[in-house]
Amino acid sequence: MRVIVVGVGEVGRHICQQLSAEGHDVILIDRNADRLKRVERDLNMLCIEGNGASAEILEQANISKADLFIAVTDIDEVNLIACIMAKEYGVLRRVARVRNEEYFSGASPLNEHQLGIDLLINPDQVMAEEILRISKMSEAFEVVDFAHGEVILVGYQVKEGNPICNITLADLKDLRGLYDFVIVAIVREGQTIVPRGSDIIQAEDRIYLVVRRTDMAAVEDLFNLWSTAPKRAFIIGGGQVGFRVAKAMEKQKVDVALVEADSMRCEYLAEHLNSAVVLNFDGLDARDLLSEGVDTTDLVVAVTNEDTTNILSSLLAKYHGAKKCITRISRPDFIPLLGKLGIDVALSPRLVAANMILRFVRRGAIISVATLLGSEAEVVELVVPERWSHADKPLGSIGFPEDTNLGAVVRQGKVIIPSGDTVLETGDRLIIFSMKKAIPMVEQFLAS
Amino acid sequence: MRLGTIGALLGWLLIFLSVALLIPIAFSIYYDDGNWRFFVISGAIGFLLGGGLAWSCVSEQEMGHREGFAIVAFGWLAAAALGALPYYLSGAIPSYLNAYFESMSGFTTTGATILEEVETLGPSLLFWRALTQWLGGMGIIVLSLAIMPILGIGGMQLFQAEMPGPTKDRLAPRIQDTARILWSVYLILTAVETGLLMMAGMNFFDAICHAFSTLATGGFSTRTESVAAFHNPWIDIIIIVFVILAGINFSLHYRLLSGNLRAFARSEELRFYLGMGVFATTLVILANILFGTYESWSDSLRYSVFQVWSLMTTTGFGTADFDKWAPICKFTLVALMFMGGMAGSTGGGIKQVRILMFWKFTRMQLRKLIHTKSVDAIKLDRHKVPAEVIQSILGYLSLYMVVFVVATMIVTGQGTDIITGSTAVIATLNNIGPGLGGVGPCSNFSGLPDLSKAVLIICMLAGRLELYTIAVLFVPRYWKDVRYPRWRWSRS
Repeated sequence: MRVIVVGVGEVGRHICQQLSAEGHDVILIDRNADRLKRVERDLNMLCIEGNGASAEILEQANISKADLFIAVTDIDEVNLIACIMAKEYGVLRRVARVRNEEYFSGASPLNEHQLGIDLLINPDQVMAEEILRISKMSEAFEVVDFAHGEVILVGYQVKEGNPICNITLADLKDLRGLYDFVIVAIVREGQTIVPRGSDIIQAEDRIYLVVRRTDMAAVEDLFNLWSTAPKRAFIIGGGQVGFRVAKAMEKQKVDVALVEADSMRCEYLAEHLNSAVVLNFDGLDARDLLSEGVDTTDLVVAVTNEDTTNILSSLLAKYHGAKKCITRISRPDFIPLLGKLGIDVALSPRLVAANMILRFVRRGAIISVATLLGSEAEVVELVVPERWSHADKPLGSIGFPEDTNLGAVVRQGKVIIPSGDTVLETGDRLIIFSMKKAIPMVEQFLAS
Repeated sequence: MRLGTIGALLGWLLIFLSVALLIPIAFSIYYDDGNWRFFVISGAIGFLLGGGLAWSCVSEQEMGHREGFAIVAFGWLAAAALGALPYYLSGAIPSYLNAYFESMSGFTTTGATILEEVETLGPSLLFWRALTQWLGGMGIIVLSLAIMPILGIGGMQLFQAEMPGPTKDRLAPRIQDTARILWSVYLILTAVETGLLMMAGMNFFDAICHAFSTLATGGFSTRTESVAAFHNPWIDIIIIVFVILAGINFSLHYRLLSGNLRAFARSEELRFYLGMGVFATTLVILANILFGTYESWSDSLRYSVFQVWSLMTTTGFGTADFDKWAPICKFTLVALMFMGGMAGSTGGGIKQVRILMFWKFTRMQLRKLIHTKSVDAIKLDRHKVPAEVIQSILGYLSLYMVVFVVATMIVTGQGTDIITGSTAVIATLNNIGPGLGGVGPCSNFSGLPDLSKAVLIICMLAGRLELYTIAVLFVPRYWKDVRYPRWRWSRS
């Protein structure tokens, strides 16, 4: 696939890296020669210096042959115009990053359909949505939807003293009774294991489960986990993300306290929020945080623009007894480190936005994908092709490739959590959990 | 401060009112009560005075907000003076002070009377009484603004000074058009109520007089017993529905009539107003049932609903002698008298929106005590209320208390008992009409000493023009830079 990416900011770089690594032809356009040079050195792609919204530059990038156009510069207007241009050149799919909400309010007559944009992405909004999704599950650190949300992949941290510790997966399967689930991966000390029946769950493991959304509560009960929505939340940082999260939580009747250091911004927040308490002090002011009760909250969301503030205030809250924290960090390289420090969830807006775009881009044979933070694994959706050699045989008898695990099967809109007796049919959508390096093997296996 | 501008505008206002004085002549001739000549004489006096003033003062086109206050305040004083003439000249009210009290009570939509038997006035004077309320309800200055093209610029100052409420809606880019819209809504509602009352069995005269004083939240009736005289539950229902409507912001009515239902549903003040009314009604109904004021539950319901809404919107119509109700009911009614209607309605009182914001302000202060570093905003209808509006509301409330205390001291200082004295001030300052005790729904204000009446007249005007417009005239600095008018005849 030929992809044109305009803008080598936080998001653009990550997308290029992923797409290029997957073997797509990526052409990168940016006005900043220095940044381009650095990317060109690191990644294997064609870089063009210039304005991504100019016809001359786009033609130079051979736009009429592109299948996908992604505009992710920092300037909304450039992204919008570039996408409109791309439509005129006949690019099939167009993605634009637009930060200013005023451009895509629902009532505007110029919505994304009118402009011919397939996906409008607002990094702040995507980040806020991700935080809200994770916040609802107090023990889960990762939740990904599949099959239109019918099936989810949930990641849990197994704590010391949990009864499922030191039990083999085969024994666990006997326990499962009425509720179907598959443990598709275990992350132990930074290493991903795709487990077999003989593997044992240990304390401090991160386990990934595939489960029907409706069964989630029962399965969590079985695993001695709880997923109650937070009742009291503390949000540190009143920027776009903090504001959106506060606004959404307010609607869910969560008791929200929002901390923001800038007094002018506080005025704005107080005006636009209702029940949330807007507090004007620095997120690193430990005394103020504690006097407002950060130690007794269910959830701390640290989303200032400063990584240090986010990390330190999260650690402070956790140290004093806050139940869970979600921390924003703009440098994804530090994410694996933070888990060790005791931060429950670390999110990089860059990765979150890029994942959203990648998920959209990969709609095709591979229907959606989530790149899991801090692990080498990926979840992919694949369709069983016609005349597949392993069709009509029970799963137990076909040797699925190493380092992969079949999480769920979607057949005519119905979800099946597979067991050894499950028989795969043509047209089934398989949700496969796999090590990154094993993806080509899975694709090959399905093509055979 | 340009006296020339003020004089010219006052002149035009008097001319306008002298035309209004001619309307009751039709009723005088129809009912043959012989009072028509007094309206002609009053009209002629008004026309000559007004014409003389308007002709001789050269209006300087510039009008600032200072002139606005003076025009509105003196305009109302002059209007009441002219409006008192028919009562005085006809001999129906022999004392001019009493006539002035009655006239001011009309224009300010108070509804307090000094008459023992209102029927003695005769149809044309009763109609004039109702008409003064109707004209005063939406504002005589705003009306003259809407009808007469005398103002090129600066209408906003007058509108600001006359329309009730801390903030004003502008419905059209030009203030004259806004005034016209509000008056049209007012006219439509009045016509509808007149029609309904006639269908319920009133004659045209009673119907239009009651419609006039209902929509203006005035309270003047054509009968001494007020609405109770008709003994007709349908009339009670129609009047109370329109009383409730008259207590609602007229720009909301306009938006509703032009198909904007959401404005109605969204208004926080409207919800507060209705909620307050429903709450008080329930309380009074329960109290009346528990204390056994009435024999049947349905009577308790009928009279409680009517009295509560009539007093809360500052109308003052009566169907029952609430002075004989249980103490809790009386106190609730007096407390409601302060609340008034919504801002932008014809109701008097402090106005619901001020009470609502005051409550929000108090709640914010409490929150500040718990979260010392919290930042809060007071919002109304999802929009932030600017700090200066909050300040003006707090100032308004304290000024209100001062006026109330000083006026009550003067009235009780002349020997009136505390219930009569304080409720007389409450009833006039909030433009309601009847109070308790000596000025209760079955009594009148004629027994009070002259000085008390004068104080109550000022209370009525101060209440109608929302204190600031009158209070500013008592500030010496306001009169510092008076510029005397250029007389037309002295022009060289």
